[in-house]
Amino acid sequence: MSANATLVPGGPEAPILGQIRASQRAARSSFRAKYFATWFVILAIVGAAIVATGNAEPDFTTTWGRYILEGAGLTVLISTVSIFFATILAVIGALGRLSSNGFINGAASLYVSLVRGTPLLVQIYFVFYALPQMGIVIDPIPAGIVALAFNYGAYMTEIFRAGIQAVPRGQREAAESLGMTERLLMRRIVLPQAVRIVVPAIGNDFVSMIKDSSLVSVVGLQEILWRSSTVGRSNSQLIQALLIAALVYWALTMFFSYFQGRLEHRLALSDVRL
Amino acid sequence: MRQRHTAIRAAMLVASAALIFTACSKVGATAAPTGAASTEPSSAASASAAPSEAAASIDPNDLLAIILKNGVIRVGTDPAYPPQSLLKPDGTFEGFDIDTANEIGKRLGVKVEFVTPDFSVVEAGKWAGRFDISVGSVTITKKRLDNLDFTSPYYYTPAQMTATTASGITTLDGLAGKTVCVGEATTYYQWISGTLALGDGSALAPVPAGMKVTTLKTDQDCALSVKSGRHDFEGWLSSSTTVAAALAAKTPMIIVGAPVFNEPLAVATDKSGPPHAALQAALDRIIKAMHADGTLSASSKKWFDGLDMTVAQ
Repeated sequence: MSANATLVPGGPEAPILGQIRASQRAARSSFRAKYFATWFVILAIVGAAIVATGNAEPDFTTTWGRYILEGAGLTVLISTVSIFFATILAVIGALGRLSSNGFINGAASLYVSLVRGTPLLVQIYFVFYALPQMGIVIDPIPAGIVALAFNYGAYMTEIFRAGIQAVPRGQREAAESLGMTERLLMRRIVLPQAVRIVVPAIGNDFVSMIKDSSLVSVVGLQEILWRSSTVGRSNSQLIQALLIAALVYWALTMFFSYFQGRLEHRLALSDVRL
Repeated sequence: MRQRHTAIRAAMLVASAALIFTACSKVGATAAPTGAASTEPSSAASASAAPSEAAASIDPNDLLAIILKNGVIRVGTDPAYPPQSLLKPDGTFEGFDIDTANEIGKRLGVKVEFVTPDFSVVEAGKWAGRFDISVGSVTITKKRLDNLDFTSPYYYTPAQMTATTASGITTLDGLAGKTVCVGEATTYYQWISGTLALGDGSALAPVPAGMKVTTLKTDQDCALSVKSGRHDFEGWLSSSTTVAAALAAKTPMIIVGAPVFNEPLAVATDKSGPPHAALQAALDRIIKAMHADGTLSASSKKWFDGLDMTVAQ
């Protein structure tokens, strides 16, 4: 029932509606209260269990917490730049995969298959250690970005391709019947609708990449995981160090997921039932 | 409307990427150009920048000239190898190796930038110009001389075996047939595997029969494994200084047996890097000077519990 239904058009609302809304509100807040209470209790139990092992030095967090947190800057930097280049690679790859030219399609398909078929860690080692043997030496941060962008570009290629193909055929046919050229059709009709599918996926991959960026710690980039595992090992406080790292990643994920949720909501407005 | 939204988003993405890239290139710019950029017409203005260095003319292609021109020397170090090198909360390092490297930088008249490659990368040579020298307690061995150039030693340590208190072993022979943990690519690994040949040809104790070896990323990880309560191995072999630090940090292990060998540790340069004859000469001169004026002894006493490890045992 619409929230604005009235018995007489333009007249006052039926009182029952106020009661319905109030009870819905109460149900919602009771649900939320139980939801967050459960989170809190479970986390508190886990936290207490860890502290109770007796190995936790109390001042480790105050001494090192800031140092580990500062790694978040590099993590976000690497993720942002990588997702940018991955998007570019994905657009090129998707158009390549949809191309009727055998050479282009073959190259794009090989890229997708090869990069999706090998572990990201292997690719990071390859860019950092194997390329120098071929004479290509890349600085650590750009090397991490290259490996991540290359890897995610392959996955996103498939998403972009699916997005373009998911635009209903009728849209294309209608555009063609109006006399639009292929370029105009793509630019004004197909791609804008494909973007609705694709932009949330980019946001998704960005959040996922924040976590995958922890793999570049193996080539010595001083991001969150490198910092926490290094200081945790030196000070025999790995539990605390890794927990701090986990919390930082979790906070970053929640932060970006929130914005991604809002973006998805905004893009899906045309689908809301009124 | 939706097009404008995504267009704005795209524009923001491009703008932020541009901003990030300028920041990124500033971060990356701390890496000095390597010998691959030998088209550098660097003049030997180096002499004026080095207070303690003899004002000899240096080949402009030499790594030393490049370092002096950039005013920065990149030193490879281990971020978790107390008391030789250890990370501090503000992101800088401290330790015996760190002090030595800082002193070398001071005497060359350049700033020191620390890089943290894996030890196995340092040990194998072919650093791809990512750093200039390693002041990381690298032992001179005959095999490493194929890939690395060493200065004369800046200190010496005995290799000390330890056993976990849980294993109940109290003698070196008690570890026969048992598993010993060592750091990757270390001389301790080579000793147990029977492939160690020290650069100065000094003697090695015989390896107890059937001793097995397991590696973790660095020596410190072995101590940490025992300290956190794991029982993956019965012994740990490392330098006496690292062992002392670990025992002082209440690792449940005991020293067993006399040291199994003594190793000379030196500053290393990559053989496959840019030409570095002048750099080698300068480093050697500095190390000899640091021995002579007592800097190394004082530093050793500070970091190694009053022991002077800078004289051969």
